Amino acid sequence: MAANDRGATDIAIVGFAQSQSVRDAAPSEVQLLVPVVADAITAAGIERSDIGFTCAGSCDYLTGGPFAFVSNLEAAGAWPPISESHVEADGAWAMYEAWMRLQEGDIDVALAFGSGKSSPSNPAEVWAQQLDPYYLAPLGVDPVSLAGIQAQALIDAGKATERDFATVVADSRRNAKSNPNAQLSGDYDVDALLAEPYYRRPLRKHDVPPISDAAVAVIMARGDKARELCERPAWIRGMDHRIEAHQPGLRDITSSASTTLAARKAGYDGGPLDVVELSSTFSPQEIILKNAIGLGAGVNVNPSGGPLAANPIMAVGLIRIVEAASRIIDGTANRALAHATSGPLLQQNLVCLLEGE
Amino acid sequence: MRTSHERGIAEVTITVESTIKFPYKRSLGPVIGPFMTALAEQRFIAIRSGSRVICPPLEWDPETAAELPRDFVDVGPAGTVCTWSWVSRPTEQHPLDRPFAFALIKLDGADTALTHVVDVESIDQMSTGMRVAPRWRAERLGHITDVEAFVPGEEAITVNGGVPGEPVTMMSYDASITYKIPVSDNTIKAHEATAQGRLVGLKCPVCERIYARDRGFCPIDTVELTDDHEVELPQRGVVTSYTIITPVQYPGQTETEPFSRVMVLIDEIDVVMMYQPLVDVPVEDVRIGMRVAVVWASEAEKADAGRPGNLVGWMPTGEPDNTDPSLANRIM
Ligand SMILES: [Zn+2]
Repeated sequence: MAANDRGATDIAIVGFAQSQSVRDAAPSEVQLLVPVVADAITAAGIERSDIGFTCAGSCDYLTGGPFAFVSNLEAAGAWPPISESHVEADGAWAMYEAWMRLQEGDIDVALAFGSGKSSPSNPAEVWAQQLDPYYLAPLGVDPVSLAGIQAQALIDAGKATERDFATVVADSRRNAKSNPNAQLSGDYDVDALLAEPYYRRPLRKHDVPPISDAAVAVIMARGDKARELCERPAWIRGMDHRIEAHQPGLRDITSSASTTLAARKAGYDGGPLDVVELSSTFSPQEIILKNAIGLGAGVNVNPSGGPLAANPIMAVGLIRIVEAASRIIDGTANRALAHATSGPLLQQNLVCLLEGE
Repeated sequence: MRTSHERGIAEVTITVESTIKFPYKRSLGPVIGPFMTALAEQRFIAIRSGSRVICPPLEWDPETAAELPRDFVDVGPAGTVCTWSWVSRPTEQHPLDRPFAFALIKLDGADTALTHVVDVESIDQMSTGMRVAPRWRAERLGHITDVEAFVPGEEAITVNGGVPGEPVTMMSYDASITYKIPVSDNTIKAHEATAQGRLVGLKCPVCERIYARDRGFCPIDTVELTDDHEVELPQRGVVTSYTIITPVQYPGQTETEPFSRVMVLIDEIDVVMMYQPLVDVPVEDVRIGMRVAVVWASEAEKADAGRPGNLVGWMPTGEPDNTDPSLANRIM
């Protein structure tokens, strides 16, 4: 059964908070989370004791702290004991679990958060560890090289050009000018970007996201409770995630079949969208994701700037959902789609469809 | 420290570096094992999955997850570059120390692509669709890097012939990640206090619980703790629990003889210090109720740069034991 036809339409985001993304945050991950979780609770107008379920998303490999995810839970105030869970994944998957839990119908409010500090380590070293340990990791394959392989395949297939990549970057940084939480923003000329040297041909440094530290939290509520807490809740019309084969050589890396499927299962029918927030970690991926979802040319993609403006891994996907939800809650949008990704080269993809009343 | 924005996220000033090593030894199983064995013999094998030939071979059909019959087929050694990316500045984790390309390579006879590296002198020699063949390593272990690199052309560069060896069943993979962990202001203050021979904590203004000086917040009330919340702690207490550790010689373990770690409930206040070392107490004499006091490093010990801190551990005071049976419940 698709997850969106079982009373799921009755759950909404009613409050959220995120920290600014910075290159090198001195506070520990849990210290970044403490004010963010507190702010989300305040924004939703609830007490901590109103929360019936808490789910967190993070990755211990990022800071190298054993059981760091257990410390992170302390930001939720876990005494007296609370009902909670953790996913070793982006906060978007933590939100997915909390959303599923709310559908049981016995609790009204849930908290989900995601946090990540990429600054203490080298992403190229860390992300080699998520790869197949027999065929890929021993080659020292890093995420930027993989993204370069994907970008070249996209060019060879005639689906995009280097100019398209640079245009994605210029749009991202221009949009990020109005996002106080972004790291990279400003007006950039596409021709000037194309004059920059290659980093991993065909990618230039600006096609690659910054290294970021940040945290994000959302409060979800069910039915009447959501209406009571929020004047204009961001209703979750559907949420779905799908996965593909791990090895890049086994799938068509110029498209994203799992994104297409997740979008359909989440209830996206091709109709108009006021806002789309995509976890397009590398600029070519925005083109792949737009094609996979079936977005037209006029759609407002990544008004926050997206991951190219700030990429706090393990929070970045949930931030996409928060950026979409915020525009529904403030009344500037009525229908929004948010996307999160996991694994090498868009291996796993989550889509969340949000609407106002 | 300077703050970077309105929420006040301070930027890192001091870091400590640590490297975590993951010395994995993996069993290869019935499909990857034969593939690695073939590499040691300077050949490639693939596995049939319906009408497709999959290389590198997998145990399961990537579409249906059905277990595949062990129907192996020889592929390569030459193949075609499907896509590639140029690494102009290789790092230590890369297999070549000069500029090279990562590439997806479809070996002749296979329907899927293998990820590997192409060694050419310049990026001008790289193109999608180019033909490549393996340059085998002289010393082969049954490892994906037995192929040193692919090079342009149709002919494999073999070394020492292709003599069949013993089946390869295991592989080593030594991964490591180096971290630069920021040192918080509270941690610096904690070190300063112990350097002065003081035991200090941070008292939560809401619940009044006392925490270690390097903690940033009360996890019960999620209240931030700063210098304003510092309190002096008595330097005596009582052992409430203990463990005797028989060291296993894993990498990094410096202890060789069994040693104890104790929980110390500090006098007058409600704080338990966890996993504290005991000084000059044979492991058979460690017991709940033992009265102990802090031992600080001598001037000579302080001079030893390898010491982690000024607090050496705890030593019996000689006072009579505390016989309260409820002590055993106080472990945190
Ligand atoms: Zn407290």
